[in-house]
Amino acid sequence: MATVRVFDLAHGRSGDKGDVCNVGLVARDEEAYRTLRRELTPARVKEHFGDLVQGEVERYELPNVGALNFVCRGALNGGGTMSLRSDHLGKVMYAWLLRMEIETEGEDGDR
Amino acid sequence: MKTVTLGTGLAFWGDALRPAKEMVERADIDYLCCDHLAELTMSILTKQRLKDEERGYTSDVVPLLRSVLPTCREKGIKVISNAGGANPSSCARRIVRLCGELGLDGIKVAVVTGDDILPRIDELLAAGVDLSNMDTGEPLETVRDRLTHANVYIGCEGIVQALAQGADIVISGRVTDVALYLAPMRHELGWAADDVELIGAGTGIAHLAECGGQATGGLYSGGWQEMPQLVSIGYPVTTVYENGEAVISKTPESGGAVTVGTVSEQLVYEILDPANYLTADSTADVSQIRLDQVGPDRVHISGVTGKPAPATLKVNMGYRGGYVGEALFTYTWPQAYAKARAGIRFLETRLERAGFHAEEVRVEYLGHNSMFGPGLIPEPDDPELTEIVVRWAARCRTEEDARKVFTESVPLYNNGPAGLSGIGTRPPIKELFALWPCLIPRELVPVNVDMVEA
Repeated sequence: MATVRVFDLAHGRSGDKGDVCNVGLVARDEEAYRTLRRELTPARVKEHFGDLVQGEVERYELPNVGALNFVCRGALNGGGTMSLRSDHLGKVMYAWLLRMEIETEGEDGDR
Repeated sequence: MKTVTLGTGLAFWGDALRPAKEMVERADIDYLCCDHLAELTMSILTKQRLKDEERGYTSDVVPLLRSVLPTCREKGIKVISNAGGANPSSCARRIVRLCGELGLDGIKVAVVTGDDILPRIDELLAAGVDLSNMDTGEPLETVRDRLTHANVYIGCEGIVQALAQGADIVISGRVTDVALYLAPMRHELGWAADDVELIGAGTGIAHLAECGGQATGGLYSGGWQEMPQLVSIGYPVTTVYENGEAVISKTPESGGAVTVGTVSEQLVYEILDPANYLTADSTADVSQIRLDQVGPDRVHISGVTGKPAPATLKVNMGYRGGYVGEALFTYTWPQAYAKARAGIRFLETRLERAGFHAEEVRVEYLGHNSMFGPGLIPEPDDPELTEIVVRWAARCRTEEDARKVFTESVPLYNNGPAGLSGIGTRPPIKELFALWPCLIPRELVPVNVDMVEA
C-alpha cells in the first residue's frame, strides 16, 4: 500500500449548474482508473469536501476514457449567480479533490 | 460519406475575438458557431433592452462579425450565433447595417425567436401551466414581481429551418449552446429530427466543441506546462461525419493542443449523468464515448448515442436577488493576521452602528482560503506572515446597505490597526440575479424564423 494524492493519478475540471458543482476526474491510465473507482466513493468525496458541499454527491462513470464524474449538490452557496464565494462558479473545486489522499496497491502490497 | 466542418468562433460574451478571425482565415470550415450566452447573460441583456429598445443583444457580435464576414463571404462560411440575446431582431438590423458598412450585399440574415416567454407569463399561469421552481417546489408567485427575464432553452429546429431557407447568418436568442452546432449537422448531413441516436451523437460532439479553448488546451490540468502558446490558442475545428462520429482538431498554426486529455477534460465539464445529458433536442448518452488520437492535434470521437428528447423544455428565468457590497484591504507583518482580525472587528462595529443589514456575510483571505473557504483551510495564525488580504463581502436586500460596506471600511485607513494598505477605489455595487429553474411543455413554445436581407 502507498499513500498518494488523487493528483498523482488524475487530472480534472469542474463547473456549475445552478447550485450543483460537477467535478470530473480523468485518470492518467487504466490502473489509476481502477484505483480511483475503488477509493473515491461518493461518501468519501463528500467527506473530503466538508462544508463546501452541503448536499449529496453522486458518482458517474465514463469507462472508455477513464473518467469519473462527481455531481455535488448544494455546493455553490446557493448557485453561481447568488454566491458570495470568490469561486462562485466552482471552477477550482476539482483542485480540492486532486489534493485528497488515497491508498494504492503498492509493489510490496497484497495483489 | 457526407461531412460538415464546424468552427467554434466564440464561447461566451467577452471571449477573445482573435480565434474566430484566425479560424475563418486558416481553417477549412463550413460554419462558424458562436455561443454568446451564459446563465446570467439574459438578465443583463433584458435590463439593457428595457432601458433602450435597440439594445439587449451581446455587443461583441459587431466587432466579431466585422473581422470575419469578408472572409466568410469569400469562402462561403455561414455564421450561427445566439448573440441576439434578449433582442434578436435589433441584433439582425445592426448586422444588416454592418454588412452595408463592409460593402457586402445579398447576405441573408435569419432571426430565430420564440424563446422569450416573459410577456406570456400571466397567460401561461392562467392556462394552468406549472412554472414552480423545480428544485424547491415553490410557486412562481413567490418571485413573480421580481422577474427580470424568462427565456426557454429552445432546440435547433428554428436554425435548421433558417438554413433550409438559405440563411448566410442565423441570429437567435436563448437557444441551447449545442443547438448552434447540432443545426448545421442536421441540415448538412440529412439527419432526421427523430433519429435519436444520431441527434444524441451530434449533441455529445457539440458539447465538446462549444466551450472554445477549453477543449484545445485552455485550463488543461493534465499538464498545463506542456500546452504551447496558449495566448495564441486555436479553437476547435470539428468535422462531423454522417454516421455520428467526428474528428476534433483546431485552427492550423495556432497555440494550444488537441489531445485525448484536453478533450476528456472538456467532456466532463458541466455535465450531470453522462448517460442522460438532457437538452432541448436530445437525451444524449456520452457514457460510452471513445476518444482516439488519430494524428497531431486530431482526436476521433465515437460511441456517442442518444434517446428521445425530454417532453419539457428548461426555462431560464431570473429575478432580482439583492446586491453585493464588498471591501478589500491588506495588513502586513508583524502580526498581520491578528491585525486583520482587529480590522474586521472595527469594520463590523462601524457597520452595526450604521444600521447595516445583510442576508449573508462572507469573510475570506485572498491568497489563503478564498477558493476553498474557512471551513477547510485553517486560519493563517502565523505572526511572521508577510501580508494578508481581507475580502469582506455581504449580500444585502438593498443597494443602500450594500454601499455601506465600502463606505464604512474607509476609516480603517487612518483610524484602524497599524499596517493597513491596499484599500482601492469604491467598487461598483453588483446587483444579483437569482435563477428560477422550471420546465415548460415544448408544444407551448412555438419558434419563429424571419429573414432580412442586407
